Amino acid sequence: MKGWALALVVVVAATLAIGVQGLPTHDAPEAPIHDHVGARYVERGVEETGMRNLVGAVLLNYRGFDTMVEVVVIFTALAAVLALPRAGSVADAPEALPVSPVVLFVVRLLAPFIALFAIALLFRGHVSPGGGFQAGALFGALFVALGLVLGRRGAARLVPERARPWLQAAAPLTFAAVAALGWALTGSFLGFPQAPELHAVREAMALALEVAIAVGGGVILGSLFQTMEA
Amino acid sequence: MAPFGVDLDYVAVAALFCIGLYMLVAKSNLLKKLLGLNVMETSVFAFIVTSGMVEGGDPPLLVAGAQPPFASPIPQAMVLTGIVVVVSVTAVALSLIVQIYAHYGTLEVDELKERP
Amino acid sequence: MSVAWEQLLPWAVALPFVGAALTPVLAARSPRWTGPWAWGVVLATVAVTVGLVAHVAEAGAFTYAIGGWSGAYGIELRFDRFAAWVLPLSLLFAVIVPFSWRYVVVSLEPARWGAFYALLLLVMGGMIGFSITGDLFNLFVFMEVTSLSSYALVAVGGRGVAAWAALKYLFLGAVASLLALLGTALLFVLTGSLNLADVAARLGPDVARGPVLIAFAALVTSFLVKAAVFPLHVWLPDAHAIAPSPVSAVLSGLVVKTGIVGLVRVVQLFHAADAVPLAGFHLALAWLGAVSIVMGAFLAIFQDDLKLMLAYSTISNVGYIVLGFGLAAPYAAVGASVHVVNHALIKTTLFLAAGALIHQTGFRTLSDLRGVARAMPQTAAVMAIGAVSIVGLPPTAGFLCKWYIALGAFEADRAPFGFALVFGALFIFVYYIRMVNALYFQAPVHARVAEATEVPWSMRAPLLLLAASCLVLGLLGGAPLAFVEPAVAGVLPVGGP
Repeated sequence: MKGWALALVVVVAATLAIGVQGLPTHDAPEAPIHDHVGARYVERGVEETGMRNLVGAVLLNYRGFDTMVEVVVIFTALAAVLALPRAGSVADAPEALPVSPVVLFVVRLLAPFIALFAIALLFRGHVSPGGGFQAGALFGALFVALGLVLGRRGAARLVPERARPWLQAAAPLTFAAVAALGWALTGSFLGFPQAPELHAVREAMALALEVAIAVGGGVILGSLFQTMEA
Repeated sequence: MAPFGVDLDYVAVAALFCIGLYMLVAKSNLLKKLLGLNVMETSVFAFIVTSGMVEGGDPPLLVAGAQPPFASPIPQAMVLTGIVVVVSVTAVALSLIVQIYAHYGTLEVDELKERP
Repeated sequence: MSVAWEQLLPWAVALPFVGAALTPVLAARSPRWTGPWAWGVVLATVAVTVGLVAHVAEAGAFTYAIGGWSGAYGIELRFDRFAAWVLPLSLLFAVIVPFSWRYVVVSLEPARWGAFYALLLLVMGGMIGFSITGDLFNLFVFMEVTSLSSYALVAVGGRGVAAWAALKYLFLGAVASLLALLGTALLFVLTGSLNLADVAARLGPDVARGPVLIAFAALVTSFLVKAAVFPLHVWLPDAHAIAPSPVSAVLSGLVVKTGIVGLVRVVQLFHAADAVPLAGFHLALAWLGAVSIVMGAFLAIFQDDLKLMLAYSTISNVGYIVLGFGLAAPYAAVGASVHVVNHALIKTTLFLAAGALIHQTGFRTLSDLRGVARAMPQTAAVMAIGAVSIVGLPPTAGFLCKWYIALGAFEADRAPFGFALVFGALFIFVYYIRMVNALYFQAPVHARVAEATEVPWSMRAPLLLLAASCLVLGLLGGAPLAFVEPAVAGVLPVGGP
């Protein structure tokens, strides 16, 4: 098995070594990546999307459809985990695992700061590194950390039972709503209006997407962890 | 960086890819296989995200004080999407592994193959 | 007033996705309504795809710029005659979803109903998106929606074995997806673009051949794994046999075809770019197809498990499709394109009928199911019609495609492939005869088989509808072939074989 694996690795390595011959050099400003689509985004991105963070502009506006499918992917992961047969349920889980007081203290101390940092990433994302996904990942991490400390039932209380399915579906649903709004305003699916008098609408649409990605992503990450643990 | 005409970034990417592949194929433990898969995926992300860099470039944040040239924003957006995809695949794989362990009591492929 | 159908293109994807996102919300209130809800979403999607196919038949291929960013500057959807397969795809879901209801109620606890139907809708949405997108990276993301929901659907039915089969499927599928991403990344680095048409235009003669070849090889390998072409089929038999029958129908009839659609997209791209020696590639494809036909059929002969036999039969049939494209002759390519649809229909029929037999008797091997035709004459008849169709006897749907592929082999002066095809068909004939023989002409060995009752109408109606479609599609004959014909020139090597 090991020898066979090594042979495979050698073949793949040789193929890759031949394959990278002729690729554009790294850091070269004349590489195709910089002078075709990328050049337009840098040149006109701010004017066309109203976002100074061009990564956000690509994610939400130019390639927003990718992002819509991406939030569907993470929703799929949740549906997948929920569809599998479960060993136990939240109800018959032990209340809380014994946790060292140090861990308890550190998590409790850090939790508000983590939440604050996530919110900052979310709302400063248009002018600095950050955005919905980064904030969502932090919210997810926060849910997981709190879940470890509070036990399964305590963690289940963090998100109200009745709101949970809506929050889990928040990102795909918001994307569909924004896409439909864009359809109505500009005539194209997921279109962001460019007219100066609609700039406020454009910003509201982008913000709605960011918030939905952060909240939906965070809740799904937390739910994934809790479902798997059960 | 390209000493001796070799682009070190590409070497690193190819090495990561091969390490991940070896783990995936040669290891018997399911968790290690999953880690190998993640290493392979990381190598492709590294390839994509480094391809968008530019000599002396700034991050693609067009705020006051930022100077061209800028790194290309597309690879960064692609990698962000890719990471989410990989996280999702990993989550599903982990929950399958939990099921397998609960049922068979082992994570070794060699032992799993012998059971009905 | 005429409806601007092309404006609805993105909704063909968005509808199933929104439907899937709302399914767990609905399930939290009343799980009983998730099945009808999913069916309603599928029917709405069918309505959209009908309009799209009517539009493409009338006006030819068209594109839709998402967000108004046309060309390479955003994501473009493209609907051509190959993408028109989303209509039969959604129609089959309209049959599979009601069929699955009885299975879901019997086998899953209500807490999981919502997630199950959400996954079915996600598979459908992912495949539709995969078929209509004109963007390389978008193709990858849609592929992941389909794959991820397929992995999970394999495992819903049972604990240990099912999870293990699903995990094997996941590992191979994830490597395949990774290769597709690598190919996409290489093409992006070389051209600076992700739009399929734009990449093709920018892969000029001055682009380095080495990375282009690697990208091509990575993409093709990825899709051959997804299509389960021999010897990359190892994940398929277990996954398809262990999954619940409605899921097997989805996986075997439809999900493996994403590999074929992906292959068509890659070949279209490189055909337009003329950047790799496609003639040699087509020859390799023809060989792989021929080997798949024979090996799939050969392995199927030895199976006693009904669903495992059907799973191996899928490998043979994918072999027919790949061989058809590989022969690089117009007739064969037309036959292969239509066989994508025909096999989807026939394999769905067979898997659902097998599911009905297993559901009513509790047995899944041919030796246990002997003589079941006496107790369940209608289901057995559906099974027999499916068997006759897949073997390719003249009045049924399977015949014309295989005939066209064989004609293509002789047209391209590659008679040996024609013989491989006939030889494979003989094998297939043998094991389906064995199946029909066991079901009809042998005495039952189990009391439960002799006393089994026909399936309830929620399962019987879909089965009868499918069997009727197998016959009607055969009588309809040339219409699908004529529909796809104008498009196949785009997947043949430039200047002929």
